[in-house]
Amino acid sequence: MDDPTYDTRLAEFETRIARGEKIEPGDWMPDAYRKQLIRMISQHANSEVVGMLPEGAWITRAPNLRRKMVLLAKVQDEAGHGQYLYHAAETLGISRDEMIDALLEGRAKYASVFNYPTLGWADVAAIGWLVDGAAIMNQTMLAHCSYGPYSRAMVRICAEEGFHKKQGQEMIIRYSQGTPAQKQMAQEAIDRWWWPALMMFGPHDSDSPNTPQLMRWGIKTRTNDELRQEFLDELVPGIQALGLSVPDPEMHYDEATGHWVGREIDWDEFWRVIKGDGPMNASRLAARRKAHEDGRWVREAAAAYAQAMG
Amino acid sequence: MTDQWPRYEVFKQDRTDGPFRNVGSVHAPDAELALMNARNVFARRPACVALWVVPDAAIARRTAEQLAAGDAVEIEDSGDSGRYAVFSKQSQRQTMTYVDYVGEVTARSVEAALQTAADTFTDVPGIVWWACPVEAITASPQSDLPGFEAATSKLFRMPNQYHTVFTMQKIRRGEEGEE
Ligand SMILES: [Fe+2]
Ligand SMILES: [Fe+2]
Repeated sequence: MDDPTYDTRLAEFETRIARGEKIEPGDWMPDAYRKQLIRMISQHANSEVVGMLPEGAWITRAPNLRRKMVLLAKVQDEAGHGQYLYHAAETLGISRDEMIDALLEGRAKYASVFNYPTLGWADVAAIGWLVDGAAIMNQTMLAHCSYGPYSRAMVRICAEEGFHKKQGQEMIIRYSQGTPAQKQMAQEAIDRWWWPALMMFGPHDSDSPNTPQLMRWGIKTRTNDELRQEFLDELVPGIQALGLSVPDPEMHYDEATGHWVGREIDWDEFWRVIKGDGPMNASRLAARRKAHEDGRWVREAAAAYAQAMG
Repeated sequence: MTDQWPRYEVFKQDRTDGPFRNVGSVHAPDAELALMNARNVFARRPACVALWVVPDAAIARRTAEQLAAGDAVEIEDSGDSGRYAVFSKQSQRQTMTYVDYVGEVTARSVEAALQTAADTFTDVPGIVWWACPVEAITASPQSDLPGFEAATSKLFRMPNQYHTVFTMQKIRRGEEGEE
């Protein structure tokens, strides 16, 4: 650090965070804070955008008009969430161009949960309850984030995610009260999405080297494993109450701690999918690139119109 | 490479008697498309009665730190005086919006408007100030109102339309789950 005032500024910055103030664009911040936020927010934005794909495939096959409107609205929300987050990342000095290019060129990370296939309509239900449900827990924490634009995007997103989770949970409830075949559809969908949903909270705490610094600067306020435990404690009894089960024979309630405990996540699979070797990585990227290319004429027409009128 | 359009800051009004509040930004080739994008991104639900978009380049900003440090800003005192819209961040609490519209001031430059704003609206806790020339604002036309109103009928977008908590309680008590 060449800046002789660095230590003073860092102390002031940390005091502001300790007082509960939000750090805003243009305020002084350590370089590592800016870099961590750009990394997290851009990944998060890309996840929202790619997150449209697994369910988007089912819009044309919705079982009735209401379900179709609900799913359309949900997928449209995810597009909006991507926009809120690209905006937040932009305030830190990275351009939307850079983030979108990185995604299209396969250099950007996004939530690996979206690299699993959606095999039936009940997957839409399971994604809503489990995947959006897990996202809400993470995002509720991030709404307390010390960086103003990220926090505000999260408050806005959480208000909308409640709908995503509930429409999915409502469908699983209906399936669980239906015919044996319907009940089985719900069970198979939960079996498919259970482990990917648990992986959404990220690596084991002992494998997340960034966490202590992120917590010190108020970017995160809880660890991956704490959030994952909260998810287990809410979802396992909920799923069981419906006469369904989670695909983990070791899952049990630990009287001593008051928590639900199951077997360890398959971390090899976790890292494999993150590194690009999941069942749908290639297909998701191809779909993003195609959507970008298919929209080219619209962008060109809009630009030409603006130029002609301007 | 994608080609990035200019950024427009978006301000949303929730009620006709409420302030315009900054909710985020969109990119667009002109103000007309910026309004359209803003509607898709920020007005999918109630409540929205009007939107403003302002080119990012037209906005001057002073952070809390700059104000506290009293940084001497070069204020051009030449030029004609004009009307400027001013906005401020008013709370450190967790919110959905950033700066709120507080009113207009007359000044000879956008930087001067920021100074005048802080001196004029002394009862507003200006944690952050923004200013822009009033003519830089493009407001959604009155004809957009039916579109905003349509969002109020899309109740299936609202979490309170789903009674999952209540239904789960009934199921746990051994009752039939249907509402
Ligand atoms: Fe989302
Ligand atoms: Fe969602």
